[in-house]
Amino acid sequence: MTKKYDAIIIGAGVIGCPIAYELAKMGYKTLTVDKLSDAGEGSTAASCAIVRAHYSTVDGVAMAYEGFKYWLDWKKYLDNVEDEKGLAKYMNTGSILIKSQGHDWRKVQSNYDAVGVTYEEWDVDKIKEKVPVYDMHEFWPVKRPEDPDFFNEPTKMLEGAIFCPEGGYMSDPALSAHNIMRAAEAKGSEFIFNAEVVAVRSENNQVLGITLKDGTDIDAPVVVNVAGPHSYKINQMAAGVYEECNIKTKALRHEVMHCPAPEGYDYLKDGYHTSDGDVGCYYRPEVGNMFLIGSEDPECDPQEWVDPDVFYAGKETYVRNNQLTVEQWNAQTYRCARRVSDMAIPNQPRGVCDLYDCSDDWIPIYDKSSMQGFYMAIGSSGNQYKNAPVAGSMMAELIDKCEKGYDHDKEPLQYTLPHIGRKIDVGFFSRNREINYNSSFSVNG
Amino acid sequence: MNIYVCVKHVPDTAATIRVGADYRIDEDITFIMNPYDENAVEEAVRLKKRMAGAEVIAVTLGKAAAEATLRSALAMGADRAILVRSDKHHDCITTAGALCAAIRQDGNPDLIFTGRESIDAEGFQTMYRMGVNLGIPVASNVIAFDMDGQRVSVISEMEAGEHACLEMTTPCIIGAGKGLNQPSYPKLPDILQARKKTITVIDEEQSGTHSSASRVETVILEIASEERQPEALEGSAEEIADAIVGILRNEAKVLMNS
Repeated sequence: MTKKYDAIIIGAGVIGCPIAYELAKMGYKTLTVDKLSDAGEGSTAASCAIVRAHYSTVDGVAMAYEGFKYWLDWKKYLDNVEDEKGLAKYMNTGSILIKSQGHDWRKVQSNYDAVGVTYEEWDVDKIKEKVPVYDMHEFWPVKRPEDPDFFNEPTKMLEGAIFCPEGGYMSDPALSAHNIMRAAEAKGSEFIFNAEVVAVRSENNQVLGITLKDGTDIDAPVVVNVAGPHSYKINQMAAGVYEECNIKTKALRHEVMHCPAPEGYDYLKDGYHTSDGDVGCYYRPEVGNMFLIGSEDPECDPQEWVDPDVFYAGKETYVRNNQLTVEQWNAQTYRCARRVSDMAIPNQPRGVCDLYDCSDDWIPIYDKSSMQGFYMAIGSSGNQYKNAPVAGSMMAELIDKCEKGYDHDKEPLQYTLPHIGRKIDVGFFSRNREINYNSSFSVNG
Repeated sequence: MNIYVCVKHVPDTAATIRVGADYRIDEDITFIMNPYDENAVEEAVRLKKRMAGAEVIAVTLGKAAAEATLRSALAMGADRAILVRSDKHHDCITTAGALCAAIRQDGNPDLIFTGRESIDAEGFQTMYRMGVNLGIPVASNVIAFDMDGQRVSVISEMEAGEHACLEMTTPCIIGAGKGLNQPSYPKLPDILQARKKTITVIDEEQSGTHSSASRVETVILEIASEERQPEALEGSAEEIADAIVGILRNEAKVLMNS
C-alpha cells in the first residue's frame, strides 16, 4: 500500500530538517527522505558551519542576524529534545570582516546599520592587539601562487576591520542537522534513510508524491526539494519545474584546508572567525588548534562544476572523491599565510572537499514552483548554513500559506523574522527573479 | 659534513588509488613526500643546525613531478637537492643503485637519512641495498638519534615493545621511524626561500647507475578490497575497557603481557 503524508521533504540536511521540524509544529505529517544513511551526512557534514552576519544585501544580513538567535539558544530551539549523539555547540568567536578591496564592506556596514547589527570598527593597531599573528599589509589583488607577482613584498597597510562580537561557528554541522531531526521527530516527523528519490510524480500539474529507487511510492500533496547539490536533478524530475526557473542551480566543487596555528598562539581559544577579501579567504578555528581555511571564490580561481552523482561516487564506484588538489591547497594555504606568516603548511594536504549547491547569483531559492505543491529550498551556495533554522520557519510559513490558496507569485509573502521583528520579502529569493547583481557572486552571498 | 636525505614522491594516503590496465597506479592524483621521509628530513636539518658547516642534500629518483617533493624537503630546511630523473619504474635494486650513484657523484656522505619505508611500495629494502652498495651500516626504524664525532648512537624499534640500542661509525644510513621526531612544517617564508634553492637534475643514464644482473618486475597489481567486520563491545565502561585491552594484547599483540 502506498504510504501517505501531508508533506515529503527530500534531503535531511541542515535546511531540510528545520523545514520538517517547523511543518510538524504546524501539524503537518511529514516524511523526510535522504539517500544517505543519516541526517546531515551529505554536503551539510562538510560545511564550515560559520555563523556571521555580513551579507551583501539587507535581507541577507537580517536573515543571518535572526539566525544567531537560534544558534545562541540551541536547546530552546530544539524544545529541549534529547539526542543520543549529544548536542552541537555554538562557538562564539566574534567575527572580523577585514576592510579590503575584496569586500564591499561599506555596503555591509550600511546593511548592519539598517538591521541594527552590533559591531565595532577596529583600526590596524586594535587588530594587532587582538590578533598578534595577523600581518595587516595589503596583498590585493588576490592571486594564485603560480602568478609571479604572488610573492611580491607588500607596501601598503590595510585600513582596519569591522568586528561583530556575535559570530562564530557550530562545532559539528552534521550533528546540528541530527539534533533538528530528533526535535522534528519529537513533534511527529518521520525520516527514512538510504532512500534515493528517482521520480517526482504529478498529475494535472499537482504533485502527487515521490518514487524511491527500490520502487516504493510515497504520496503527499506537498513535496519540498532540499536536495543540496542534487537539487537540480530533483527539479528535473518534477515536470516543467527545472525549465520554468529563471535561476538555476548546479553543483560546484569546493575545498577547505586545515593548517596548524602558529606555535604559541592558541587560535582555538583566542582566535576569531575572519573574512579576508584581501587574500580571498575566510578562516576560523578548528579542533586541534588548526586554521580552517575556505576560499571566497576570487576571480583568479577556476570553478569546477560537477555532476554530484559522479563526484560522490568517486571516479571509481566505491569511494567518495574527496581528495584535495595540490594546486588549490597551495592557493588557499599560501594566501592565508600571507596574513598569518607563522602558520605551518604541512606537506600533505588536509581538509575537506565537497560540493556547493550553487545558484546563478549565489543567493538561495526559497520558493514555490510552477507545479502545485512542489517547493524548493535550494541554491544555498555555500552560505546558508547559518540561516537554516530561519529558512525552515520561513519555508514552512510559505508552504502553509500557499497550500491554503495564497498566490506568492503574484504578491510575494512578507515574512516577519520572529526575533528581530523585521519583515523580509520572500520574493527576494524567488526562482523567477532576475540575477541579483547586488550579490557578491561568492560564498559571501 | 655532508648529510644526504633520500626522499620519495608517493601517492597521498588520502588518495583514491586506481590501477590501470597496465597494472600501474593511475598518477592523476595528489602526491606527497613519503611521510617517513619527513622524519628523515627533520632529523637531518636538526643535526645540521648543531654542526657548523654541515650541508643537507635531498636526493630522489623519479619523474619530473618529483621536484615537488624535493621542494618540500628544501622548505623544511635542506640546502639543495638532486633529482635523478627517470620515467621508468624501478625495483629497489635499481633505486638503491641510482641513489648511491648520485650521492657518490655529488660528494662523500657522512650520513644518509631516509624513511624506514615508502608507503607506496613498502619494499623495506632500498636502504639496506644502499648500505651494501656503499659498504656502510644501516639502522632502520630509528626512534632516537645522537651523534658524537664519528660515533652515531641510535635506538631502533624492533618488534612491538622491543628496542635495540645500536652504535655505528660514520658514514652510515639511518632509516627514520615515526617516533624519531615531530616534523616542523614549513611556513610561507620557508616555501618562498625553497623556490630559490638549487635542484640539480641528472638523467638516470648519466648517473653512472650499473644495471643489475637480475631484477624484480610487477606482473599484476590489484587493489586489495578490505572487508571490515566491526564488532560492537557492550557492557559497562570498565568491561569495555577490559575487552579493548584484551584485544590489544591477544589479537593485535601491541601490548606486552604483564
